Amino acid sequence: MTRPSGLAIYAFVYLAFLYLPVLFLPLFSFNDGTIVAFPIKGWTFEWYRQLAGQDTLIRALMNSLLVGLVTALFATSMGLFAARAYERYTFRGKEASEGLVMLPLVIPGIIVASSMLVLFISIGIKPSLTAVILGHTFLALPFSVSIMKSAFDDFDASLEEAAFDLGSGAVETFRRVTLPIVAPGIVASLLVTFTVSFDEFVLAFFLSGNQPTLPVYIWSQIRFPAKLPNTLALGSLLLLASVVLLVVAEYFRRRSSKSKI
Amino acid sequence: MTETNIIQLKGLDKQFGKFTAVSNLTLDLRQGEFFSLLGPSGCGKTTALRMIAGFQEPTAGKIIIDGQDMAGIAANKRPTNMVFQSYAIFPHLNVGNNVAYGLRNRGISKSDIEKRVSEALEMVELGGLQSREATELSGGQRQRVALARALVMRPKVLLLDEPLSALDKKLREQMQFEMRQLQQELGITFVMVTHDQYEAMTMSDRIGVMFDGKLMQVDAPPTLYAKPCNKDVASFIGEMNFLPAQVTAESGDSLTISTPGFGGMTIEKNPNIVQSGRDIEIGIRPEQLEISVSRPEGYDGTVQGKVRNVAFYGENVHYHVQVDGIERPIAASVPNYFHTVDYRPGEPVWLGVQAASVIDLGQDQSK
Repeated sequence: MTRPSGLAIYAFVYLAFLYLPVLFLPLFSFNDGTIVAFPIKGWTFEWYRQLAGQDTLIRALMNSLLVGLVTALFATSMGLFAARAYERYTFRGKEASEGLVMLPLVIPGIIVASSMLVLFISIGIKPSLTAVILGHTFLALPFSVSIMKSAFDDFDASLEEAAFDLGSGAVETFRRVTLPIVAPGIVASLLVTFTVSFDEFVLAFFLSGNQPTLPVYIWSQIRFPAKLPNTLALGSLLLLASVVLLVVAEYFRRRSSKSKI
Repeated sequence: MTETNIIQLKGLDKQFGKFTAVSNLTLDLRQGEFFSLLGPSGCGKTTALRMIAGFQEPTAGKIIIDGQDMAGIAANKRPTNMVFQSYAIFPHLNVGNNVAYGLRNRGISKSDIEKRVSEALEMVELGGLQSREATELSGGQRQRVALARALVMRPKVLLLDEPLSALDKKLREQMQFEMRQLQQELGITFVMVTHDQYEAMTMSDRIGVMFDGKLMQVDAPPTLYAKPCNKDVASFIGEMNFLPAQVTAESGDSLTISTPGFGGMTIEKNPNIVQSGRDIEIGIRPEQLEISVSRPEGYDGTVQGKVRNVAFYGENVHYHVQVDGIERPIAASVPNYFHTVDYRPGEPVWLGVQAASVIDLGQDQSK
């Protein structure tokens, strides 16, 4: 080991500044007291235990799971077909359409959320889980498209031709060759898009109406100081779940780009 | 329709935008022959093969396979199967399932599939390897699986797109021999695309040479080697010395020519030449030249020169001899009988050639 350079110290301080606050969340969720401040008064699982008994929380969790699952399915199936088209074919307007698909990554959430609310109401979709699902699918699509594109990236096009040559039609070829080969990418995309939806707040806040998702529920609870430790516990669980999902997704994404021969 | 022509290509054209990949390709392939389409990369040979397979629609022209017009018939309905350049072995299936893939599209009973798969694997000497994973195969084994997977379908024509280019030299030579053997045993028509002239020559009954989307010449390898139809074909197949010559007299099948260095000779007219004239080019294969210290006896043409450099190939030695009045050195190849290089750079030597080995290449395009 060489002596740490100035750059290394800078990187360390920077990362600490970014992630230390996040680590306080789980730390204080075990604190035996309602005030979020040092010193820690004692250790307890009480806040976690209390979570289980809160009906509105469970309902919000179920809403989030439902929205996340449907969003993941929608975004991934759209991403799968879009990515295959982008990787296989050249067509007029290809670059423009790729750019448009990626746009949600850079548009401010509040703009998307308010304009979607106006749009949905004007076409008769009331704020509801359906509205949230549609909004989240829009937000998750760029993630799905880019993951699926990397899955198709080193997918030898002659594999599909070989299947076709051996007598399979387009649907058979897709089912027996394309789908199994990009399966790891699909799993990665499902997990990532689920996570995107599960953690999303702004859109859900605007569009969920009286069916709050988990982040919206958490926000509503922060107003009550007595419930803060519960919220911390819940937040810690969400953090853990997100990290696990993303790690698993990354594992599948790497596998999808390694399995080709 | 004739009984013996399994494939008839009639005036095939393929345009990609403004680029013409294949132009007016007309070709009859015989039942049971090993045919190679040979040419440099980008000459349209792969496009031609892909049109036969049904992966590409011709812009104009007809493809008739076994008497049936293929217009509007997709690749999955054609009686052809293909061995891809990348082999395209399905990575998620084991060897047995790769080979069985196509049979499962045909509603064949499970036991028949198993039987045919194991026969096909025996045929390519991979007997019993059904459960081997695709990812565990070596290059040569993948090539064999690709062959078995196509042949198990009992195609009327097997199409091969540069099937050996991914293999190393030793394995390539072995597979050339085995594939030729297999083709003769099965009696199936093989159509192979290759840019490797040796591969084409050693395996094929007939070779079609393509340049710039056009089919230049179709002939058996010995004819192609001895009577190329122009300079392009002559330089693509084997090595060739090109010399300018003037026709001084012409009678029936022979030409009397005068050429710098070697002087006057009467050579055979090349029947494959389209354009002839007074100024022609001639070709001499390096191995047809005698090289010696003194003027060789009994040769129709002789010339003196100086060894410029020596290339030792192992099985033979190439001497590049500079001759006064001839711009480029003349290559002469001598079999290596005694593991020796007999002439050193700078040494004066004589070259001798028989008129029968001088190839008429038609009008000199540079004049």
